Amino acid sequence: MKIKGFLKDVTGASRVTKARLSAFANASAKPEATDPIADVVKEWHPGRLQLVVTDVREASKTARTVRFARADGGKLPFFYAGQFMVLDFEIDGAVISRPYSISSAPYQARQENGFVEITVRRSRGDGFIADYINDSVKVGDSFTALVGCGQFYYEPLRDAKHVVALAGGVGITPFASMAKEIAGGALDCDLTILYGSVSADDIIMKEELEALKSEKVHVVHVLSGDDPAWQGEKGFLTAELIKKYSAPDTTYFICGPQVMYTFLRGELKKLDAPQRRIRFEVFGQAKDITTFPGYPTELKDKTFQLTVRRGVHEDVIPAKATESLVVALERAGIRIETACRSGECGFCRTKVLAGSVYICPENDGRRAADRDFNYVHACAAYPTSDVKIKIPIE
Amino acid sequence: MKFYKDHYDVIVIGGALAGLSSALMLADKGKDVLVLERHNLPGGIASSFVRGGIEIEAALHEMMSIGEKNNRLKVGKFFDDMGVDIEWLKVPEAYHASLPGIEVTLHPGLETFAKEVDAAVPGTYDKVLRLLNLCNSVFDSVNELSIHPMSKAKMLLKHEAFVKTAGYNTQEVIDSFDLPKKAQDLLAPYWIYVGSGFSDLPFTIYSVLMADYVGYGSYIPRKFSHEMSLKMAERAEAMGVQIEYRQHVEKILVRDGKAYGVRTARGDEIYADYVISSSYPNKVYTSMIEPASEVPAGAIKMVNGRRLSLTAFSVIMILDDTAEHLGIKDYSEFRGDTMDTDALYKDLAGLGPYRYLTCICHNLGNDTATPPGTCSYSITTLPRVDGWKTVKAEDYDKVKHQVAKQMIDDMSAYLGVNLLDHILEIVIETPMTVNRYTNAWNGCIYGYAHTMEDHIIARLQTAEAESFIKHLEFSGAHAISGDGMGPAVTNGRKAAKNVLDTMAAEEASK
Repeated sequence: MKIKGFLKDVTGASRVTKARLSAFANASAKPEATDPIADVVKEWHPGRLQLVVTDVREASKTARTVRFARADGGKLPFFYAGQFMVLDFEIDGAVISRPYSISSAPYQARQENGFVEITVRRSRGDGFIADYINDSVKVGDSFTALVGCGQFYYEPLRDAKHVVALAGGVGITPFASMAKEIAGGALDCDLTILYGSVSADDIIMKEELEALKSEKVHVVHVLSGDDPAWQGEKGFLTAELIKKYSAPDTTYFICGPQVMYTFLRGELKKLDAPQRRIRFEVFGQAKDITTFPGYPTELKDKTFQLTVRRGVHEDVIPAKATESLVVALERAGIRIETACRSGECGFCRTKVLAGSVYICPENDGRRAADRDFNYVHACAAYPTSDVKIKIPIE
Repeated sequence: MKFYKDHYDVIVIGGALAGLSSALMLADKGKDVLVLERHNLPGGIASSFVRGGIEIEAALHEMMSIGEKNNRLKVGKFFDDMGVDIEWLKVPEAYHASLPGIEVTLHPGLETFAKEVDAAVPGTYDKVLRLLNLCNSVFDSVNELSIHPMSKAKMLLKHEAFVKTAGYNTQEVIDSFDLPKKAQDLLAPYWIYVGSGFSDLPFTIYSVLMADYVGYGSYIPRKFSHEMSLKMAERAEAMGVQIEYRQHVEKILVRDGKAYGVRTARGDEIYADYVISSSYPNKVYTSMIEPASEVPAGAIKMVNGRRLSLTAFSVIMILDDTAEHLGIKDYSEFRGDTMDTDALYKDLAGLGPYRYLTCICHNLGNDTATPPGTCSYSITTLPRVDGWKTVKAEDYDKVKHQVAKQMIDDMSAYLGVNLLDHILEIVIETPMTVNRYTNAWNGCIYGYAHTMEDHIIARLQTAEAESFIKHLEFSGAHAISGDGMGPAVTNGRKAAKNVLDTMAAEEASK
């Protein structure tokens, strides 16, 4: 065979080797450590940051808004309006994390003296962290936090120009962020917020929302309680009401308590909106796991033994049947990375080496192969026997 | 609290395909191995993610070097030998080529492929088959010589095609076949998977690409590339490998020119006789070796003398209708407004509009890819990092949406369906996404470009001289075999083999 000529053909290997050596000989000897791609990533996703509380104010009779800035004075990361942040609380030597939707706008985080805010309602007896934020957090307190998580945000290539937000209670927070981002000129869509509250007193961020109203931002309060003085919309967020505020092509964003989701799934079905136009925020840790389909209620009072392997180290801790593996770990002071605490994000991906767990079927965001090999998202997995797991070393 | 053993035989930095292949091979030989992976799952970009309850492939288009169950190629055989049992699905076609004046679907099998090219460009069968056979012959030689090296004189006798084409770029060899342009165009679409224009791409690499993909077809795992990565990791652990996730290695510890351990971001110092790095040599030599004085000048000159290859930009969508209804006909489609690979390569240095797109519809190769009534469709270009290096953090979101929109509009026009009206879920992957999840240098997924100045044969010839630090090996797209998930496995095995060979040699000299 012949490509160009015998001699040239057979000397190819030495030619290319010489070319390589001469390229290296001619190269600079100065180390080039720059990676501009990584630099952009660091501004968007810097990992956990040290934040300090710079302001605390009332957002309603029962809720507070807490403002944070970076402790080192640096710039906060970019994020999308609607995303949440994870706050770490150190309580009795253990680190407990909670996700909170950010109620301030992304542009406010990036401006001079940038900040992020969360708005937290006092719990009704089921969340000691929410109470802690309402009772105890003060200016000057510092926290570690992961800012900008989750998939609940407006995506211009996917979503309609007209957005109807269906908010219940403290579920208003991601929409407050979106409304502010629109007002700041950083997000281009029309937003109508249908905000369900029991009474006028329960409305969170009422004045703030009022100030955000514009051609592009509409806020409609809907009260379910009996208030003869109320002139506005009354009742629940029914299909009829939703339709009244919808454009022919509308994307629905929904954030609120679990019960509202069940109700709204039915109402949205009546509207015939296509699946791609309906987006639910995850609702966080299940309030009472025993109410979910398939939960073995006969075990609900049990406490099991949880063996936790980290590297070559093992601990044995108690784990209640009604609490997720994450909660058992946090109670025992064993750090595990979490974000959404809804089984969706997979931050707490954990291998179950032995024993059995109940996985909340509405919170099962696992990959197929992970299911096959007994990986669980520990925030949505509950022990149903003694269990042995392996988690990352933190 | 003690999380690690006092000592390991080998520490592998990075639990993606290359690192896990190294670990499997070393464990198979009874070595005590620790894998440290920065993310919380294995695989690097060979992974998947879940959006809106639907699992989505992150990166794999098609896996080469697998082969039929009873006739495995090297990567498929390695998985079988290691007991990594993956459900492989054969991709139905080689590709659909949508090029100026061409709409042809070609299928694997050298003769089938040549026949189909001949049907589109009559009278080319013999020449095309001869070219493909030449590729196949080079491919066989590469595979054999990688296991059994031999003298140059003997090589010329036994591996004539390999030797005689070694010094030529792809265009030079194709030109010697005197094929009409349209036939040449039909033989070019896979170029993007090796990432160099034909005037700079070693024909050796083109041969391997064509012989492997066209000759034997390609494969995907049923449960996405996460099935492959996870099964490798599970098998490695079953063989005694310790894998620790969320451990970011910051430093490689070196003393007297020899690696002896690593230090993680958490502060753990872990010791081993050998270190295998999936981190790019650029990163290792410029910021990871401790102390930095252990980095020889030659190592810096080497990384500075090489050109980074391609990164990825991918728009991945779950659409709310079936492929059939949307008019998507093929698993894999290459669409370009030219097939001039040199011109396309030049374009890849910019930020678009990109003129050469690869579209994958997973449902047409995997009937369980998405829920009924939906389909998964991705549009990908593999740009060079140059353009993306100029994007500022504050413009990043805007640029990424502009580029994605352009690609969606292009394919919508082609399909005659506005894809924007069908998006259930959309994820835009960029070089930044790659960097975020894998820490890859400059977000690069392809390692160093296959060029005439960085030729695979030269890489093999000079490998020993480029081993600048003893007991430190490199495993990843930046290693000898270069880019691709199949070559990642080969690169991982090669690193493990180097370690085993050194162990044996040092044992023998004791």
